[in-house]
Amino acid sequence: MKRRSWLQKQGWMGYAFILPNMLGILLFFILPALFSFVLMFTNYQFANPDVSFTGLDNFKRLFQDENFYSSIKYTAIFLLSVPVSLILAFAVALILNRSVYLKGLLRGMFFLPYISSGVAVAFVWMLLFQPTHGPINEALRWVGMVSPPGWFADPDAAMYAIDVVQIWFMMGYNMIIYLAALQEISTEQLEAAKIDGAKTGTITWKIIWPLVSPTTFLLLITGLIMTMKSFSLIQAITQGGPSGSTTILSLYVYKTAFSYYEMGYASTISWFLFAVIMLITVIQWIGQKRWVHY
Amino acid sequence: MNNLAGSVKTKLPLTIVMLLAGVFMIIPFLWMISTSFQSPSEVFVKWLPSRLDLRSHIRIWTGDYSFVSYYWNSVKVSVLGTAGAVFMSALAAYGFARIEFKGRDSLFLVYLSMMMIPPQVIFVPKFVIFNWMNIYNTHWALILPGMFSIFGVFMLRQFFMSIPKEITESAFMDGAGHIKIFFRLILPLAKPALATFAIIDFSWHWNDYENALVFLTSPELYTIPLGLQNFILENNIDYNGMMAASSAAIIPMIVIFLIGQKYIIQGISSSAVKG
Repeated sequence: MKRRSWLQKQGWMGYAFILPNMLGILLFFILPALFSFVLMFTNYQFANPDVSFTGLDNFKRLFQDENFYSSIKYTAIFLLSVPVSLILAFAVALILNRSVYLKGLLRGMFFLPYISSGVAVAFVWMLLFQPTHGPINEALRWVGMVSPPGWFADPDAAMYAIDVVQIWFMMGYNMIIYLAALQEISTEQLEAAKIDGAKTGTITWKIIWPLVSPTTFLLLITGLIMTMKSFSLIQAITQGGPSGSTTILSLYVYKTAFSYYEMGYASTISWFLFAVIMLITVIQWIGQKRWVHY
Repeated sequence: MNNLAGSVKTKLPLTIVMLLAGVFMIIPFLWMISTSFQSPSEVFVKWLPSRLDLRSHIRIWTGDYSFVSYYWNSVKVSVLGTAGAVFMSALAAYGFARIEFKGRDSLFLVYLSMMMIPPQVIFVPKFVIFNWMNIYNTHWALILPGMFSIFGVFMLRQFFMSIPKEITESAFMDGAGHIKIFFRLILPLAKPALATFAIIDFSWHWNDYENALVFLTSPELYTIPLGLQNFILENNIDYNGMMAASSAAIIPMIVIFLIGQKYIIQGISSSAVKG
């Protein structure tokens, strides 16, 4: 008790240390969030001074809005990138962790996409996926595909092409986390299994995979949340097109707010996005109790 | 360890396979750089330029869409935003990690919950607030909010808590106040964590497209992501120019990554595995 008492001295200093940051968080996060919550129940349009509360009208509209439903569908396709990149990242981490030379170099190569995210990368991929002469379709033709998809120009293929880019982008991050988790596994346990004659496949699926399951779960949840929020990549490549086929929820919010200036309705959609993220977080809380203490 | 790690027989082929996969991962960058040095007729035809054609690079730095101004704007926004974020996050992190005061834990919970709010929720109100503060369509619309990072408070708090309490305790017994302890003891000890956060935050500012898109409208204020977008809207068949411009945007990040690789990877793995 006595040992900790110094921490409580000058307790008021705690407020002083937090205050500068707190003010900014208040002004740029908390107030806007509260404001947005109110806007959800209004018909506020930018540049239109007539604002009134419309109760639940925005919600009624939301549930009749076909664009809203299709944006949910596209978001779901986008979220497919999360488990795929997890599995690939696990495989790569497994190999890099023990059975290669040049580990540092390889780790850097796989991680590079993550750090260089942004609009620039989006444009590189736009050209790589270029339908008529782009290298990807050239390669597909070379292996015998007669008419490869038009990717970002094809409403049926665009979302999947975005998935490819997203997987490429996220994989390095997941791999780094998996590598850290693999390093925590005690070597003795694996050695013992090996001495008992277990095959590499058995060791991987029966011992390593369960041991890293908390990491997998964490990466899955944070990956889903991050992907739900992400915006830049798609906005830069397709702006939600062609014919709306890559307009995921986050882009639909942006379009509604800044192309149609329907700020009230946009707030409603954005809080739906929040509700989904909230749901995923709740699942995480419940799941953590089950998964982490196995 | 060595037993399990396998012999040269398994390691060598796996290394080669992984190297091929690794090259596959960085092909977009290689292709970008190669294309930026090609002549227009070589795009999509050749993998490597037949001779180094510098025209595209020269054009993006001197022409109508001069990257000089985009670069300057990005450097300004990123450096000021990062400096502010590192300092203020460190202050708050120290408050949360080393001082006990009333309401600390509930306040921290508020911080936690704010992380769940997607940026799309607060864009519209920020747009209104910035108009009202008169900073819409100025660099302050990016710099000011950028100085407040919830992630930074988390990450640095985590690190400060791992510094042995005895160190700060004995300084406190010797009569040092919190301010002195923070500046003289904690900050120097936390250099690796501060560097990690600074690099991550800087890359976030450098790549920030969303905020620039919503809050900047004048071309002379454009940061690199917007400048790139603008360039491509106006020159959408100039593939060499596009790739020269993309290289100009990406290469600084690659250089920063190569220099700070150790910090970045440690920071990312520790924040996720422990968090």
